[in-house]
Amino acid sequence: MLHLRIIKRQDPLGWRSCLVIFGAVALALFFSAMLLALRGTPPQEGIIVLFKGAFGSRWAIEDCLIKAIPIFLCSLGVAIAFRLQIWNIGAEGQFCLGALGATWIALSFPDQPAWLLLPAMIAMATVAGGLWGLIPAVLRQKMQTNEIIVSLMMNYIAILILDYLVYGIWKDPTSFGFPMTPEFSEAAIVGKIGSTSVNWGLAHCVILALIVWIFFGYTKTGYELKASGDNVKAARYAGLPYNKQVFLVMVLSGALAGWAGFIEASATVNRLQPSIMVGYGYTAIVVAWLASLNPFYIGIASFLLAGLRVGVENLQLDLQVPAAFGGIMEGFILLTVLAGGFFISYRFSFAQKK
Amino acid sequence: MTTPAVRLQHISKSFGKVKANQDISLDIHKGRILALLGENGAGKSTLMSILAGQLQPDSGTIAIDGENMELSSTDKAISTGIGMVYQHFQLVDAMTVMENVFLGKAGSFLLDKKAMEEEVISLSRQYGMQMSPAKYIADLSMGEKQQVEILKLLHRRSNILIFDEPTAVLTPEEAKALFATMRSMADQGKAIVFISHKLEEVMTIADDIAVLRRGAVVDSMPKKSVSSTAELAERMVGREVLLKVDRIPMEPRQMVLKVENLSHQHLQDASLIVRQGEILGIVGVAGNGQKPLVEVVCGLQQPQQGEVQLLGKDWQDFFASRKWKNGLSYIPEDRQGLATCRGLTLLDNFLLTTRDGFSSGPWLQRQDARQKAEKLLHEFDIRPPDLDAFAWQLSGGNLQKMVLSREFYRQPHLIVAEQPTQGLDIAAMEDIWKLLLKAREEAGILLVTGDLTEALAVCDRLAVMYGGRIVDTFARSNQEKVDQIGQMMAGIS
Repeated sequence: MLHLRIIKRQDPLGWRSCLVIFGAVALALFFSAMLLALRGTPPQEGIIVLFKGAFGSRWAIEDCLIKAIPIFLCSLGVAIAFRLQIWNIGAEGQFCLGALGATWIALSFPDQPAWLLLPAMIAMATVAGGLWGLIPAVLRQKMQTNEIIVSLMMNYIAILILDYLVYGIWKDPTSFGFPMTPEFSEAAIVGKIGSTSVNWGLAHCVILALIVWIFFGYTKTGYELKASGDNVKAARYAGLPYNKQVFLVMVLSGALAGWAGFIEASATVNRLQPSIMVGYGYTAIVVAWLASLNPFYIGIASFLLAGLRVGVENLQLDLQVPAAFGGIMEGFILLTVLAGGFFISYRFSFAQKK
Repeated sequence: MTTPAVRLQHISKSFGKVKANQDISLDIHKGRILALLGENGAGKSTLMSILAGQLQPDSGTIAIDGENMELSSTDKAISTGIGMVYQHFQLVDAMTVMENVFLGKAGSFLLDKKAMEEEVISLSRQYGMQMSPAKYIADLSMGEKQQVEILKLLHRRSNILIFDEPTAVLTPEEAKALFATMRSMADQGKAIVFISHKLEEVMTIADDIAVLRRGAVVDSMPKKSVSSTAELAERMVGREVLLKVDRIPMEPRQMVLKVENLSHQHLQDASLIVRQGEILGIVGVAGNGQKPLVEVVCGLQQPQQGEVQLLGKDWQDFFASRKWKNGLSYIPEDRQGLATCRGLTLLDNFLLTTRDGFSSGPWLQRQDARQKAEKLLHEFDIRPPDLDAFAWQLSGGNLQKMVLSREFYRQPHLIVAEQPTQGLDIAAMEDIWKLLLKAREEAGILLVTGDLTEALAVCDRLAVMYGGRIVDTFARSNQEKVDQIGQMMAGIS
């Protein structure tokens, strides 16, 4: 008889941990297909439609890239906080504050030239997002609150502030009552790359990812964050300023999500409106885990999960699958990846029982 | 001889490239105490984990009472009658002694308190222990907790009991009581395995001695044939080991640590001075105020009352502007939890306290650090000699060497070393003593130790702690006082 044993791995898994991730995603796809079958949609066809919709045409791929940009930046941000084992669930709210900050500048100084206006919008977006991220950090370190709860709750506050502004003082008088700001001036809009529909936000992503990578790999502060993230007690032993580190990662985390908010408002919708909040900040958490917090894998995972969003739109049109299916798939992926984490530390061994 | 209770034959086990056990054959007999002796990483723990069903050997057979068995899980090992007393107790603090004894045991759904109580009492009587079944674990001393662990095994009818360095956490009195219990268990037909580094203990209690070296049994003999601890030590490390190191007296120079009337937690009114060129040994049974003293001196806790000066600076000033070099090096007892990050590589762990020496502006100069660390790896013979290995892959002894190499590299002027040789083998112990004595040329050293041999071997002055107070401080050469240390440690003065 075959006998199953669970054994702790003695050697690091290294690149093979990729296989675990692929396995987890495949399993999530399988579950999703089963779900389609349950509601009477042919599962094979459903998955094919999903993939074709996501990656089957130039238009689709461009759409994936456009959606991947904010997901990527939010995810890069939460990954920084996760490194220190600070669970920032508030990327959604920080994204929102970033969009608000950028909009405020864009609406206040519509006549400034782009070279002045865009950097000012970025600065305001990152400051607003960063400060929004700093609040749960300060509460955590000074009053021992739980950052998961606080950062999550602050998402709702952020969205309500956005609603207040676009239904109120920022509402476009010519919008026939729709809750939206006036369109930004030409100078406040991040342009598109060549003849594609993809905006230059993509370049921002590449540069910021490089900076984050260099920061963790080559700077002292980055190294210190890594050490504290591994062992808080050792951080105290080595005299690392843990409180400051928590503040720093939450500010950086919020600033990157804020940057994403800026790009979404400026490049994608060209104004501020409630529909800007579509849950990129939550997808970012799934992406960060999928990518084991590595900036380059975050790039790949962002693109894939953006593809999921685009593909589901197609699924909705062709096979009348509800939009919620995308969220369910995302949930499946997160669960299977988390469960797959088990195989990174343990392995099964089959032994012949005598 | 009769059939051995356990017969291990040709057991081998590898972790990656490291051969932890190679072709080990060993007999464990009923009614006898087998001491398992060996250097760090010699494979003792691996071998016992195999016997306890936690690890599976790559090859070899295990026979229990002459019958081949596969100990595929800890459950299987327990049901076969093998029980292990771990160094870290596996007890539930919020439950009583009897509840712990009966914990995890399959049986009827309802518990009969009365029967439980009687069973615990009769078991402890049978083996000469005193135990109140209704006490909570949190209220027990280390020695009593260990007794609960033993009772757990006895209750499960374990016939083969393994003790993994059982005296490390005990006072000498408690250790004596433990030995009596072990002897009584052996007399009643149980087979006992005793893992220890302490040669005197092995000579006191063992019937048979097996010596492990580099994963293989190099010697196996009845105790009768061993004449002295020195002979045993020699067999263990494979060369003559003198437990004496040369301590050339030095002229103490400027003061590097001054503690005045410090009270903190259960530490009361402690005063001491450490000068460059001397080693001050703090001796005493663990838990008598050493921990708060060390934590304050090393900056982990802010002093509540009294004054602490390090290298001429106030506590506040010193820790507000700590320097990586020529400052304070702290070698904590808790290597895994405090001094290293298990998920980082050796190189990153090396940088933990030396990072300021390898940075220019915001940048960290990893290449420089790599070259220096590479040298240290070889100098201190740290295995595996691979800077990209993770800290969790190293054995406790090698991790300690890594910490020491890093802390000495900082050329400290004040060293606080807490049980620096705990869990290390004799050869490594001697190396560390030599390092401390050498470091004393540039530094003042505060050595906190529970091992009197160590204190007497290296210290220039000794301070004895009991009940949160420093009972007395005197020179190592003051033989009259030295003779009284035992009494002072026990609070008799």
